[in-house]
Amino acid sequence: MAARVGIVLVSHSAALAEGTAELAGQVGGGAVIIATAGGTDDGRLGTSIEKVAAAIRRADAGAGVVILPDLGSSVLTVRTLLADDPDDLPGPLEVADAPFVEGAVAAAVTAAAGGSIKAVLDAAQEARHARKL
Amino acid sequence: MPENCEATVTLTGDLHARPAGALSVAAAQFASAVQLAVAGGQADAKSVLAVMQLGASSGQQVTVRATGPDARTAVDTLIGILSTATAAGAELGD
Repeated sequence: MAARVGIVLVSHSAALAEGTAELAGQVGGGAVIIATAGGTDDGRLGTSIEKVAAAIRRADAGAGVVILPDLGSSVLTVRTLLADDPDDLPGPLEVADAPFVEGAVAAAVTAAAGGSIKAVLDAAQEARHARKL
Repeated sequence: MPENCEATVTLTGDLHARPAGALSVAAAQFASAVQLAVAGGQADAKSVLAVMQLGASSGQQVTVRATGPDARTAVDTLIGILSTATAAGAELGD
């Protein structure tokens, strides 16, 4: 079976990242690596470049990684990492401009189905238009 | 040759997040376009969020329509998942 696209969830909160990963993993049927980078290195609310880099390495299975940040400085942290040191990381890497929960679920399903990194990124970003009601 | 195919099933459980995921993962394997239709709505079966938004529940009829080279297999596969995964989802209580 071809390698799946990996997913990294970057949140200010470790609990939020892990809970979202659990939900998206279940909806995707468990066939995708979803790695989390939640909270600061000392366990507070915030983001950590080191945690994001480690999560990217864990999520990579050879087909690339789609990164979903939650809010504000999560995006900055991801951007800073990618701007500073992309040679050190596996690739290709894409950052999704998407709602965190819906984007993670849609990305997990598309990755589980063997979608390309572009398909997984598009699925996450199309989640912006999904209605709940 | 593209073909059209459709079939209808009555759900034995609600179309919750997990069965919706299983359905969309399966639908994405087919080249055919696949739509789900219930009373009051339809969704692209390959979009898990659209499938969840249908809010299809136990006792409702769901029609699967596919158009493309593997339409018949797509419909058979998705009807199979709708027949079993919704029942499993109900047991798991999600």
